[in-house]
Amino acid sequence: MPPTLPLAPRAFSRRTLLAVSAAGLAVAAAGCTSAPPVDERDTVTSAQADELAAQVAVQATLVEAYERAFEADPALAATAGDLGTQARAQLDRLRAAAPGSSPSATAPPETPPPGEGQAWLRAQVAVAAASHAAAALGQSGGRAALLGSIAAGLRGHDARLA
Amino acid sequence: MADDETTDTAAEDAALDAALAAEHAAVWGYGVVGAALPPGERAAAAAAEDDHRAVRDQLVLLLGERGAEPAMPEAGYALPFPVLSPVDAAALAVVLEEGVAAAWVRVLDRAAERPARALAMEVLGATEVRAVGWRGAAGQPTVTSAFPGLPER
Repeated sequence: MPPTLPLAPRAFSRRTLLAVSAAGLAVAAAGCTSAPPVDERDTVTSAQADELAAQVAVQATLVEAYERAFEADPALAATAGDLGTQARAQLDRLRAAAPGSSPSATAPPETPPPGEGQAWLRAQVAVAAASHAAAALGQSGGRAALLGSIAAGLRGHDARLA
Repeated sequence: MADDETTDTAAEDAALDAALAAEHAAVWGYGVVGAALPPGERAAAAAAEDDHRAVRDQLVLLLGERGAEPAMPEAGYALPFPVLSPVDAAALAVVLEEGVAAAWVRVLDRAAERPARALAMEVLGATEVRAVGWRGAAGQPTVTSAFPGLPER
């Protein structure tokens, strides 16, 4: 019987997903010997933790950009509101993966020019996608997977807004 | 320490090999996608097939250089549903791209070295951009994904 498409891993191990959770990282940081062994890829250095916190701020800025663009252009909000919802879901998951960090968004550099909200928003999305993609290279384990997935998701947003 | 490095490299190679298997499947599957599309609408499928073939070849080379045995394509694959129309074809393309995305996110998870992550990032972004187009062509209500390649919570 031939294999059914697609040929891809069905899912991550439970361990991997847990490793990006607050509990998993807290246990690793505490060096608790009674905890399950933590994959070395999922242990986090202070530099990686700082960079992940920075990406939370990048995503928070993008969520703010979506809100500004939708406020300036209700028609855009009507057609692309789901993108803003996805951006917020990405922010929530990033925050869950970066326990203890509560960086605030830095304001987008400008407000959307009248009639150019979509192009302005697209530029903000591209900046965030590039930032997450670059950050993923310096991470490992579940954090690299999460940042990479979010970066790819934002590439999709960029394509949708084109 | 050396054992840890060997284990990490082995895990990365295994993930890359799984990605290769997904790329083999995508190359095969896009043949089905193209065949179900009208001649004037096959360009996107042909381009996607070319892209996956290029990644496949890159992976075969990479794994070969590492002394790993690259996965071979299967003799045939079972389609997840009948592909009888252009909409079916687009839906199959979505399945292919999402399968590839899952494999490459897995590479990100398992990678021990930065170059593997860089390759994964490059492929993953292109995969999701194609998936956006195919989801639209398939008439799916949401054409973007917040977390390509990752399981929904």
